[in-house]
Amino acid sequence: MDHFARLGLPAALDLDAGTLDKAYFAGQRQWHPDRFVAKPPEERAKASTEAAALNDAYRTLKNPLDRAVYLAALKGVDLPGDGKTIDDPDLLMEAMEAREELEEAGTVRAVDALAAKVRGDFDKALKGLGSLFLANDKPAIRKALLRLRYLDKFGEEARARRTNIERGTG
Amino acid sequence: MAYSEKLIDHYENPRNIGSLDKASDDVGTGLVGAPACGDVMKLQIKVGADGLIEDAKFKTFGCGSAIASSSLVTEWVKGKTIDEAETIKNTDIAKHLALPPVKIHCSVLAEDAIKAAIADYRAKMAQKDVKKDEAAE
Repeated sequence: MDHFARLGLPAALDLDAGTLDKAYFAGQRQWHPDRFVAKPPEERAKASTEAAALNDAYRTLKNPLDRAVYLAALKGVDLPGDGKTIDDPDLLMEAMEAREELEEAGTVRAVDALAAKVRGDFDKALKGLGSLFLANDKPAIRKALLRLRYLDKFGEEARARRTNIERGTG
Repeated sequence: MAYSEKLIDHYENPRNIGSLDKASDDVGTGLVGAPACGDVMKLQIKVGADGLIEDAKFKTFGCGSAIASSSLVTEWVKGKTIDEAETIKNTDIAKHLALPPVKIHCSVLAEDAIKAAIADYRAKMAQKDVKKDEAAE
């Protein structure tokens, strides 16, 4: 059973956070260990397996990028694995330049400005995914997801850089 | 996780950090990245008139193993011909630095980077030959 089906939700990119939470809490109640204490061991085991799978589904679907990557995999988009270089020179150039700018940013304000710009790019690219999924344009989905991963990683790096500057170790 | 002394040395004192002029005819640039971890690695070589790599530089944004792997490669390729440099294998890098299994992909990235830099240099040379032929006609 895929993560969407497990939560009784349609397999779609757009997912309202409230709807997801509601579906998750309902599932949690259904498989809560307290309800199975008096049940035979095989039912208890099933409940604990279901609860774990439910948590896994919720974690994946809650994060918009993880959700998009998961949905893409369901749709048969071939995502590059670990240890293989990316075949998108423009993306690499963009990533390299962004990371160089971040390295040179010496103040919290400068880091925040870069992070805000990249965050904007991330949101825009994420929004753009919707129509790509509708068109089932697999190469374009793959390309967009790769870029989103890089933009997401940049956000992480920007937070780390900010902390370093604040601590005076940057 | 215990890292080898060589790895830590390359990470703490990376060799040949920097950039060469990407637009120059005698410079080959390799730009690679690992999608899963979001690392980017740039490796550049400058080839002399004698066909030997006279300088190499790198810039890597990634984990310590990725930095060490690219640092080591720049050190190894200097003084080599591009054909020799092309034979560097990720397994040699991983072995030299004693990379843990989860970090093997960093050495793969470094091998990809030197290969990409060599390919870029060769493409520039081929372009130059075409231009020369055109000029001769």
